[in-house]
Amino acid sequence: MSNTKLGLLVFWPTFWTGFPIKMVVALLLLAAHMHPWEGAGLFLLLLVSIPVDIWALGLCARTVFIDRLKVDPKPGIGLHLWIRWAVFSALALPIIMIVVSTVTETAQSVVSSIVESIKENIFVIPVAEQISLELVMWGSVATVALILCIMGWLYGLGWLAQPFVKNANPVVGSEMDQANFWDSLRIPADQPLLLTAFTGVGVVLVFLFWVLLPSTTPHPHEEYVYTFEKKEKVVVEPKKILMEAEQVLANAELVVIKLQDEKPPDSKSSEKTSELSPEAKQKNKLGTQEPIKDEEKP
Amino acid sequence: MWSIKPGLITKFGFYKSLGWNGERRMKEDSQIASPQNAFEKVVEFVDERVGLKTIQAKMLNEPIPGGSRWAYAFGSVLLFIFILQVVTGILLMFYYVPSTDHAYASTQYIIHEVDYGWFLLSYHFWGSSAMVVMVFAHMSQVFLWGAYKKPRELVWLVGLALFGIVMGFGFTGYLLPWDQRAYWATVVGVEIMDKTPLVGDFIARFLKGGPTPGQMTLSRFFVIHVMVLPAALAGLAGLHIFLFRKAGPAGPFRGTPEEIKAKTDYFFPRQIWKDIVAMATVFLIICSLAFIEPVVLLEKATPDPGDYHPEPEWYFLFLFQLLRLKIFGGEFGQFLGAMAIPGAFMAFLAALPFLDTNSERNIFKRPIALIGWTVIMVFILVFTVSAIINRHFLD
Repeated sequence: MSNTKLGLLVFWPTFWTGFPIKMVVALLLLAAHMHPWEGAGLFLLLLVSIPVDIWALGLCARTVFIDRLKVDPKPGIGLHLWIRWAVFSALALPIIMIVVSTVTETAQSVVSSIVESIKENIFVIPVAEQISLELVMWGSVATVALILCIMGWLYGLGWLAQPFVKNANPVVGSEMDQANFWDSLRIPADQPLLLTAFTGVGVVLVFLFWVLLPSTTPHPHEEYVYTFEKKEKVVVEPKKILMEAEQVLANAELVVIKLQDEKPPDSKSSEKTSELSPEAKQKNKLGTQEPIKDEEKP
Repeated sequence: MWSIKPGLITKFGFYKSLGWNGERRMKEDSQIASPQNAFEKVVEFVDERVGLKTIQAKMLNEPIPGGSRWAYAFGSVLLFIFILQVVTGILLMFYYVPSTDHAYASTQYIIHEVDYGWFLLSYHFWGSSAMVVMVFAHMSQVFLWGAYKKPRELVWLVGLALFGIVMGFGFTGYLLPWDQRAYWATVVGVEIMDKTPLVGDFIARFLKGGPTPGQMTLSRFFVIHVMVLPAALAGLAGLHIFLFRKAGPAGPFRGTPEEIKAKTDYFFPRQIWKDIVAMATVFLIICSLAFIEPVVLLEKATPDPGDYHPEPEWYFLFLFQLLRLKIFGGEFGQFLGAMAIPGAFMAFLAALPFLDTNSERNIFKRPIALIGWTVIMVFILVFTVSAIINRHFLD
């Protein structure tokens, strides 16, 4: 089997075997306001991923070896292969990223200049057509570069896995026995214990999720006015309200008196009532009444 | 405590050893059984009247030619997403008010003040996108596996109708928050429908209920979204599963009949396990998306777009971008791009099982099908990304 094919056959199921477990961790981190793609969140996710990947790699590599290559690898393949793959990928993946991004940027600028020169010298290209044309041109180059890099990386993974194939023992027995053998790798000896443990972990995770989950949106709309906040701001103080109401009434009485004072002198009846009542005087001790302006007069 | 010998695990032995060998074996088991506890008595009571064990045996003992596969999980995942969409949709309806005066405010209320409302709404939003993605994946799998061919033509046709319903869900649900994005996506969508010959004008008028989108539009979209489409989808999904069970799974497209028969497995437990893992994975992805990109409304809908550039849901973006091409300019061009080509494509898909009568299912021996599928996927991808890039030019 070629190195690229072996790398793909082991890597693909390993990725999907570990993926759901890592997703659970990522979701819990998100619920706890930690981004799993940066800082402490990323560190935690990578930390959890190590044992998960070692387990998944051991399981999937063993399955592929027995099922496809008819050999049984020595114990500890998960850990040993993981160390090799991790070191190789730590070197290879940044290089792949740099290569692909450089190729993409170069392709984008070259394509852009080609299209611009076509527009200037040959014919006008409308915006929508230009976008799709440029995307197809630089996208094709970038995709080819990405595929080649990934194939090179898979070749490396397969090359690192080949020594384990050479050191493995051939599987004896019929096709059915071999299938039974790799299939039994997934069946735990104590199934009720595993089921109970799974259920327990599931319940704890669900509980943890709902505890961590913010009850209101972490991204509030800038114009939204919370109805609950409005209600909290209203503080009822009956004494203060009554005092204020009395003050308003006393002020109103003052206004009425002043208005009466300004009436023509022949209106004698009004003179009698022009004096401030003792109650009004008492209530208006503060003298908060402002003189009435001309424009406010009726 | 019990353990299983490795020899019993594969093929049929494992299930037979556990009693998953149909009704006969179960009846034997029940006859041998010692005094029943309360739960067993309840199960027995229901079984006598409903035939619970027979249903269970029929559901779990479905043979899968060639054994279980991850590729077969898409249909189950779709059903799972739909059930969760119904659950979250009902919870949202407890607070949502389908009127132009209150739709926006009630949606904002759900997001800001209902406990976990923001998460439920965001889950519902991303769940609808996940449904569209899964429908595409499921249809692609069926197409590439050649599983639409005889005797599964009706399964394919009902599946196409379900695809239309899922798209309808997305379209009608998008209007409900009644913000600028919702309003203008609907305006664009209805204008596209208006271009349908003969019935376009009627459909547009029926959906809008007036010259511009308003209360009648919202009421109609709401009723279609929460009453008509769920009922249609539930009925057609049931029919889809019935027809699928009647015709039986197609199995892998490679291998001799002997090899496929040798690897044949039951639905339980391996396929069920794969389905559960796939469902859990999709659930986790939707939840993560709800966290990373929760629903945030724009301003309340008005007939003036202002600075907002109207565009439809992301899965219609490729079609929207297609209509921006010069070749599709003008009245006839718009009709061609918006209705004629998509309509002809859907008609072609419906006729596919009757046009492609060759029994060959291996996709690597069907070059036209493989190239055709690849071209369509690249086309959708290129035009969707183009529409996203196009936003910068509009700004």
